[in-house]
Order: sequence, then structure tokens, then C-alpha cells
Amino acid sequence: MTRETSLDGFESAPRWIVVFLGAYVAVNLFVLYVWSTAGQVFSIQATSGSTSALSVTGMTAVELWLCLVVLRSFPAGAPLRSTWMLLTIAAAARAASGVITEFLGTNGLLNPLVWPEQPKSGLIEQIRYLALIAGGPVRLALLAAAMLAVLRILGKFGFRVRPAIGDWAVSGIVCMFTLARFGEACAASLAGRPIGQEDWISLAGLPILCVLSLEAMLLCRSVARMGHGLVCRGWVALGYGILFTVAGEVALWVLPRYSQTLPLTMFCAFLPPTIASVFALVPAYQLVAQRRAMRPAGSPPEDLPEAVPELAQ
Amino acid sequence: MHTRSAALMAYCDAETSATRSRRIARHLAKCESCRDQLRRIETEKKELSAGAVAPAIGGRRDLAGVLSAMAAWQGGRSWAASELNSRLRRQIETYFGSPAVRVVERPGIRAEELLGETSEMLDVFLGPDAAEAVRDDCLSGLSFAGPAGETCR
Repeated sequence: MTRETSLDGFESAPRWIVVFLGAYVAVNLFVLYVWSTAGQVFSIQATSGSTSALSVTGMTAVELWLCLVVLRSFPAGAPLRSTWMLLTIAAAARAASGVITEFLGTNGLLNPLVWPEQPKSGLIEQIRYLALIAGGPVRLALLAAAMLAVLRILGKFGFRVRPAIGDWAVSGIVCMFTLARFGEACAASLAGRPIGQEDWISLAGLPILCVLSLEAMLLCRSVARMGHGLVCRGWVALGYGILFTVAGEVALWVLPRYSQTLPLTMFCAFLPPTIASVFALVPAYQLVAQRRAMRPAGSPPEDLPEAVPELAQ
Repeated sequence: MHTRSAALMAYCDAETSATRSRRIARHLAKCESCRDQLRRIETEKKELSAGAVAPAIGGRRDLAGVLSAMAAWQGGRSWAASELNSRLRRQIETYFGSPAVRVVERPGIRAEELLGETSEMLDVFLGPDAAEAVRDDCLSGLSFAGPAGETCR
């Protein structure tokens, strides 16, 4: 059989992702240090938002590219093709949402929609909301469908797990958080305070997040039944990516009640790129496993006896 | 990595699937050694159909030779089965982990069955090309035909 002999840099993709995240965290910590020693003369919130969004969009673009490479290795009819297709579309939705929200959905000078004499502010808002829907509830629904497909396949191979108390507890906390958010929105609505479209979009994603949290717990435990092999790492990363997303949503709701400055800023600066990196690790680890399998075989093992009977050959 | 004789024979007899035939043809276009092997197979096939080859068993001594070769083959086969089992175990550990070995390797499972189950898992989780490459590595130098009837040596 012929075998692909040229190995590319995909095998080191997870390392590069982690190095990028480490560098991002280091630079941000340095900026925070400079900010605090320089007497906090400017608003720290202004410095962190754009770099965080840029790194998240960049990392999502990397995830999309890696997902496309993985998707090509699963032909039509392969059981995991639909899962990788959903993961690729989810990454595409997130990347498109990031680009549109940070580029076409802003009033910045780089946005061509603000160049005419009468800027199309209504159109800009609509584009922004569509991008938020694509990167929010739509992406979460795609991830939920992908996770369900993986769980089914894992079950088929004997790695099925039933929800344990811990799984129900995590899912219960997310459900309570969802109810609290909906209750808050209802109370605001009854009090006559307007609820922004961004809040509605965020609320629409919360029920899906409840399902996703349960699926993520089940995925992590199913994969733990398999072991810690190369294939498992990617699926564990997917489970943790979802759990970090859920934790981020809860923390972003809780933190502003206690702090408005440094902890919240640090959280907003570090968490989104971390989550984006964890999601990028999913196709990266899958590629490591695939490339390892395709690596040309070396010399035969030394323990092979030479006296294999002629007829057996 | 070369195409195995069994696969070349199947290719010669047009018994391989269209995809596999294309793959073998692509390899043959590049590999002189496999082309020679294919030529030898074709020549032997022609000689056999023309009756040019003398019968292999001519007497009692020849029969004893065949029996001893069969015994040797059986010994080699059991060695090959245990070797294949240990190779498959290593691959499952590498790609899935040690607990997966316990799930897949049921007591009393034969090497061919383990090969089939491992191939199916690798096929699902890694994709067909990567799975085939792993399968080839496992079967390399052993007298087992893969589930698709094609292995490497």
C-alpha cells in the first residue's frame, strides 16, 4: 500500500495553540502590571476588549481551518462525518460572527458601511444581530447536535455512560442559572425596563447551554472510559470547551454584581481566548492522531523472529 | 510499503473493488518491485492454466514434506496470532487508551475478530485512510489478510 510520506506541521498544532494562549496571557498580565504601576491613568476596559475579540476570532479561524482538514479525511457515509461537518459549521458560524461583529457591525473607520455620506446604521445593527445569533444560539445548537452524534457512536462501541449525580448537579446549576436569567428578564419587562436584543439573543442560547452541559459531562465520562489516547484528547477538549463556556456565562452574570474593575476585566480578557483555544484543540488533537497513524512505518520490530515458516508467508 | 501478494492476485483476477483497484494501479505505476511481482503472478497463472507446472506431490516423501510444512505453518500461525494481538493492543492503547483494550479485547476473542473490531473503531474515529495505515502496520510481516483482504509486508 502506498502511504502519505510528507508530514506537515499539523502534528505540532496543539503545541502552537497552547504557546499562543500562553503568550497572550503573559502579554495581558504584563499590560495589567504596567497599568497598575502607571497609576491607572486610563480605563483598563478600553484596552482589553479589542485584543480579546481579535485573538478569539483569530483562534476560531484556526479552528475552522483545522476542522476543514479533518473533515476532508472523513468520506461521505463515514459515521463521524456528520459530527465533523457540524463542528466545522459551528466554527464557521463563530468565525463569521467574530469578523462581522468586530468589522461590519461597528462604526469603525475600517467598516465600508460607514464610508458613505449617510452611514447605514440600521443595516449595521441588523448585521450585528445576525452575527450574534449565528455565533450564539445557532453555534450552540450545532455543537449540541455534534455532541449527541459522538455520544451515540461512543455508546455503539461500548463506552456508553448513564448520567450520574455529578452530571445532574452540573446540569441543575446551569438550569437554575437559566431560570434566574429568564426571571430577571421577566422582572425587567414587568417593571417597564427595555430588554436589549443582545440580551434576548443571549437568553435564547441558555436552554441549549443546559443540554450542552449535560452532554459535555457525559462526553467527558464516556471518553474517560476509553482512556487517554490520542483520539480521546480531542473529545475531552470539546467537553471542557463546553464546560468552560457554561462557566464563563455564569461567571459573567455573577461577577459584575461584586466587581466592576480589575477581576472582571481580567476575566473578560482571559476567558474567551482560553475557550477559543480549547475548541481549536479539538481538531488539532484529531489531526495529531490521524497524522501519527499515517506516519510511514519504520523498520520492523526487533522481536520479530526471522524464521517465520515459508508457507506462512 | 508494497502491495501484498494476496492483494496483487486478487487484482490480477479482477476481484478487488474499483476503489482498491485504482489504488493498487496507482501504486504499481510507481513501484518497480510490485510490477515485477505482478508479472510473476501473471506468468505463474498462465503456466498453471496451460498445465506447464508439474504436480508438486509425487510420492510419500513429498507428502511428508507437505505435512511437515503444514505443521510449521500452524506453529507460525499461532505465533502470528499472538503477535497480531499484541500489536493491536498497542495500537488501541496509543489511540484510545488502556481501558479501551479491556472493552474491546473480550476473553477468548480470536486475532481476526480483534483485528476486525479494532479496524472498525479506527475507521470510525480516525477515518478510513488512517485506519488502513494502522492496520497495515499491525499486519506487516504477518500471515494475516486484513478485513478487506489486503495487507502490507
